[in-house]
Amino acid sequence: MHHRLLLLRRGAMSIPPPPAPRMPGVAGGRLFASLPPPPPLQSPREVHVWYLCPDELIDRSQLDMYTELLSPSERKNALAMNGPRLQKDAMLSRALLRTTLSRYTDANIDPRSFEFKKNKFGKPEILWQSDESSMEWPLHFNISHTSSLIACGIAMDTPIGIDVEEKKRKTVKSILSLARRYFTPLEVDYLAKISDSDAQQREFIKLWTLKEAYVKALGRGFSGAPFNRFSIQLETNSRIQISKATKVCNDSASGCDYLSENWRFALAELNSSYYMSVCIEDNSRGLYSLFFLM
Amino acid sequence: MAAIAGSVVSFARPVKAVNVSPVPFAGLRKDNVAFRLHPVSQKFAVLCAAKKETVDKVCDIVRKQLVLPEGTEVSGASKFTDLGADSLDTVEIVMGLEEAFKITVEESSAQSIGTVEDAAELIDKLVEAK
Repeated sequence: MHHRLLLLRRGAMSIPPPPAPRMPGVAGGRLFASLPPPPPLQSPREVHVWYLCPDELIDRSQLDMYTELLSPSERKNALAMNGPRLQKDAMLSRALLRTTLSRYTDANIDPRSFEFKKNKFGKPEILWQSDESSMEWPLHFNISHTSSLIACGIAMDTPIGIDVEEKKRKTVKSILSLARRYFTPLEVDYLAKISDSDAQQREFIKLWTLKEAYVKALGRGFSGAPFNRFSIQLETNSRIQISKATKVCNDSASGCDYLSENWRFALAELNSSYYMSVCIEDNSRGLYSLFFLM
Repeated sequence: MAAIAGSVVSFARPVKAVNVSPVPFAGLRKDNVAFRLHPVSQKFAVLCAAKKETVDKVCDIVRKQLVLPEGTEVSGASKFTDLGADSLDTVEIVMGLEEAFKITVEESSAQSIGTVEDAAELIDKLVEAK
């Protein structure tokens, strides 16, 4: 039983042709050229991640077409962001999600058609129409973005969380003060032992993305899975281990009943500048291994 | 994407109540009021308005954390996510607020902070409770 993690890069997202008439003079038939169908998600142990870099998408007309895929409320939310750069990122984030989902339904569903809802903790999910004619795909997704990269993780039949961060992201607070405030004692010890400050900062970012990915996969929000109630350990054989911080759990009023440990993690480097963590639920007892394909 | 502040509470602009005897606001919920008003002809929502100094201080900390360009408008109504704060920014902001005001913010409270005003209100409440 293998886990596979595929990392896939897009330069452009495929969009179905807009309703006629086509805009004359739009550069590049490539805007409408469909990308090849994505590799199928072969099992619940497979995760695909599609990502793009907003700075590479500068064609105004292309951006307008992506914007056209969004729902009115998505457009409104994107425009509420502060400044054109954040607005563009918000639009692209939704466009990436919609086009990706569409491709994993064999383009049976137009990107514009997807509707979304939030679970009771605020995690976004696909809202499938309840009419008989529509099909449902057991697709789970999660999005993460930094200022320069947006990633969308897709899995079948299993909740997924993903978090991306620049490797060299500088924090305003010191690494150890952040760790002491938010991480577990085990994790603080791990970081404190690292004497080189750059290496320490990188390990902090790795742990941060892993913990974020777990919380996002659980879908209960930051307060549903406080960072100081579970430890993530990066072992030398590249295994990533999660465990409940039993002392904190025993001391806390609400305990840690909803924190489960049957989750699988992957940590990858993207474009040599980013760490990306992916977390999916795992109900199998099988061995897992990770493949990275570019 | 930030995992914090997934839901945003929006509420009417705080209004100063006049001609009402002072009552403690501890335990005031956003959807009811703890004191009786004299009947007035127009309906208005009275909420626990955060102190201006608190709001200003929060804006200051947010500007520094997010390294916002000069002239970016940050006010009580500003949403952290709209300003581009991700989850790491948000925890750093919360830590900055804890240090500045000498308080501790629980994760459950932190999650409900969507705007600068939310943060300022929470701070005032926590400072009051000390």
